Order: sequence, then C-alpha cells, then structure tokens
Amino acid sequence: MTAIKAQKMTKVYNGVTVVNGIDLKVEKGEIFGFLGRNGAGKSTFINMLTGIAKPTSGSFTLLSGDTEATEVKRRIGVMPDYSTFYGSTTALEHLRFFSSLSGKPAQKSACMEALEAVGLAEHANKKAGKFSFGMKKKLGVAQAIIHDPELLFLDEPTSGMDAESVIQIQRLIKSLHNKGKTIFLTSHNLDEVEKLCTRIAIMKEGRIVKIGTMDELRAFYRTNIIVKIRHSIVPVSEEQKLRQWLEGKGTDVQFGDKLTFITVDEDKKIAEITRAFTACKTDIFRVEVEEPTLEEIFLD
Amino acid sequence: MFAIGKREFFQLFKGVKAILIIILFLVTAYYSAKFAGPLASIAELSTKEASVAGVMFLIMFFGQLFVTSLSHDSINREVHERTMRFLVTKTSRSSILYGKFFGIWIFWFVSLFTSFLIISIITKKINILIFTQTMSLLTLQIAFVLCLSVLIPKPSVTMFFGMIGSIIFPILGGWLVLTTNPAISWLKYVNPYYYFDKKDYTFVVVLLFAGILIYLANLVFKRREC
Repeated sequence: MTAIKAQKMTKVYNGVTVVNGIDLKVEKGEIFGFLGRNGAGKSTFINMLTGIAKPTSGSFTLLSGDTEATEVKRRIGVMPDYSTFYGSTTALEHLRFFSSLSGKPAQKSACMEALEAVGLAEHANKKAGKFSFGMKKKLGVAQAIIHDPELLFLDEPTSGMDAESVIQIQRLIKSLHNKGKTIFLTSHNLDEVEKLCTRIAIMKEGRIVKIGTMDELRAFYRTNIIVKIRHSIVPVSEEQKLRQWLEGKGTDVQFGDKLTFITVDEDKKIAEITRAFTACKTDIFRVEVEEPTLEEIFLD
Repeated sequence: MFAIGKREFFQLFKGVKAILIIILFLVTAYYSAKFAGPLASIAELSTKEASVAGVMFLIMFFGQLFVTSLSHDSINREVHERTMRFLVTKTSRSSILYGKFFGIWIFWFVSLFTSFLIISIITKKINILIFTQTMSLLTLQIAFVLCLSVLIPKPSVTMFFGMIGSIIFPILGGWLVLTTNPAISWLKYVNPYYYFDKKDYTFVVVLLFAGILIYLANLVFKRREC
C-alpha cells in the first residue's frame, strides 16, 4: 500500500523553482532516505508534504488521503527541520499538549516512555527554553512519535546530536520500522542513510536525479568492478592459458604470483573467474570487490 | 481546537499584563457599583445602568488596547518562532485559528463575567443586556486583533497597528455616532459603537462583523506559509 504519492510537485519562490516537478511513491513499511546538498529542496519538499508550505503546482496524497484532513494529520508524525519550542513549557507539558492536539491525549506514563526513547527522561520537567540544540532535536523526535503515527517525517533527525544520542535515535528509527511504521527522513549523514534506509533518493536542484535501493544505486554506478583475487601460485603449465582467458573476460589485468587484479563489468564474471582459477588447479584464498560507496554515488 | 483554546486561555492568565488588566476590571467594577447612586444622579442614568457604566466605559475606550496588548501576536509570534510548524502538522489551520479565538474569548468572558458578578452582588441588580452588549464589542475586538495577527507577519508591527487602532476606533466611533453630516452618517451602520446607543438587541450585528473578520482571517491563514 502506498504511504506517500507525489505527482509533479513544484514549488516556486519569487520566480526561483526550488522543487521542480517531483514524482515520488513511497510504500508502507519503508525507511525512505532523502539526500541532497543544502538548498537542493529537500526540506521544501517535506514542508509541502506535511502542510507547512503549499505547492505551487502538483498534487500528493499521504496514506491514500488528503493531507489537509485532520484524520490524516492524526496518522502522521512530523519533525520539522528547524523549529523552536515554547520556552516556558517543560518537555512533558509539550508532549501532553501536542498529543492532545493530535487527538490522542497521552498519559504521563506514555509521555515519559517517549522521552525515555529519545534519552530525555531526566529532563522531563525542564523548560524547553533551557534545552541545548541537541536536546531540542530529541524533543522534536519525541513529539513526532507521541501519538503513535503510521507515517513519520524526520527532517535531519540526528544533526547536532552527540555520537551516543545519534546511535540512540538510529536504534529508535529501526525499532519503529520493525513495528511497521513508514519513515521518510532527510539527512546529511551519508553513513546514516546507507545504514538505515531501505530506499534512497538523491535530490539535486529541485529534482530527484537518482532513486532506488542501495544495491540498485550501486549497480547503476558499477560499470567498472575492480576484483582483487588472492590465490596460490598458478602452475606454470596453466599460466599462459589463464592469463589469456582473463584478458578476454575483463580489462586492466595485473597477473601476479599470488595476487591478481582484474576489472569486470558485471557480477557474474566474478563467479566465472573463480571457477577458472580452480580449473587451472589454483586455490583461491580471498576475493575482494571494490564497490562504490554512497558518498561516491552522491558526489558523482 | 479545544486543546489550542485551552492552552491559549491558561497562557493568558500567566502573564503580568493579564493580571493587571483583571485587577483594573475588578477595581473598576467594585467602585462603579459602590458609587452607582451618586453617578446615576449626575449622569442621568438609572442606578442599574450607572452600576456597570465604569466597566462599559473601560471596554469602549480601552477594550481594543487591552485585547491588543495581550493577543496582538497570538498567531504571528508562533509563525515567527516556528512553533506553528508543530501545530499545522497536527491539526487543521481553521482549528488553530478558531481555537485561539475561543481561548481568548473565554478569557475575556471570565474577566467580564467576574466584574459583572461583583457589581451584581453589591447592587443586587443584574444587567444582562449591557453584559451581552459589552461582550459582543469584546468579541469584535478579539476578531480584529486575530485578523491583524494573521495579516501581518511581524509581531512588533501588529502591536503598532493595534495601538493605532485602539486610539482611532473609539474616537472615530464616537464621532460617527454624534455626526449629523448626511454624506458620512451612513457609516454609522458599520460602526459598532452605534449599536450600544440602542437599548435593544441590534448589537448582534457586531457579532456578524466579528464573524466576517474571522472568516477573512481564516481564508488568509489557510494560504499562509508557516
């Protein structure tokens, strides 16, 4: 079932197109990562989906319903990119107010559970005005999950947090995913996106330039797979034959006594190569494949 | 809507300005009731009217100022500080606006009701007509301030325009009531003060004006970016 469906969504500010005709479909149960440089239009796109901003043109549905409908709003949780809280209100009071606003007033115990999940339990009765940036981020996550939504929008959920808190929030995101929640997140942390997301979109100048699972994105970029094979000494009688065969299979062949490098264009050739070595009475100890990282894909 | 209204109501009671205004109301109500007799003979009013004249005077001449000082940034402060983002992602914009209106309205209702209660206890008289007339004027003043807070993004600017309105409206309203100039006297029908001169329920028109202002504010707020 579709959780998010956007069609030709565009946002123009003072003649500048920030989001340019985005079509996107996110299925229920996914952790969808949105990557892009500053100003790529990620937050504007999230703001349109969550009702903070109105699209200039295009349409979208959330959980197959109209996002303006209160019924749909109650089923989504949003952590906006940059927001402040009420300075004289405590973390606990915030959660009680926001949960009642979402139509599911939370008891104190439920609020404490949410604060515990983000690591803010000991600051439950502290006023938000005295919170650090990282603590405000955590409260932002807590307020997004307090009413147990089906679909979560998290805009840069871990930016500005210390390493321990980042791990805690990432674990929370995974546990929410395991409970069947759909999560749409943006991040500047490529490792985080690679680690958490089931599908990724890369946005550039208001458009989605690449979209897919991590494997699909890698496959797209993997036109040159560098394979490093550590093996036993190739018998002299087989050496010439194996060398010729390898040169026919790939490029940049560096044939050594115990180490061979070869560049191939598809995965199945790696299996053929290992079989060829075995057929030539050579043991294979290790095969290493250099894959493009998300960073390399992103920077491309 | 109820959650927003409840929060707005309790937040208003927390401020020093609100406490001072309530004290002013209560003191005016007490002395207005206490000296209702002498005032009635001086101003040619009935004792019943004279007892609530002080509170009514306060609302007519300073009501807009009081409402402005407490609620001029009710909407735009939240947009400016981006707390509005949490609200618009959880409920409809209409619920936010109506909730704010409801919370502010209840605050003034409680304040005015307490003042009239004190007067009634002292004078042993109840004046429902003047209470409803005064409350209808306050309703319009609240709607005006909320409309201003939606239309103008900067809180400091709403304070400025609210103050200007607080000074101009009573003067302009009084002048329109008294003027005999036929070229502009028709404007008296859109002047809320005109309906307070009448001892009937035509002041309901003032509530209609308030409704129009809130409707316009809602139209603009629905399109506004947060």
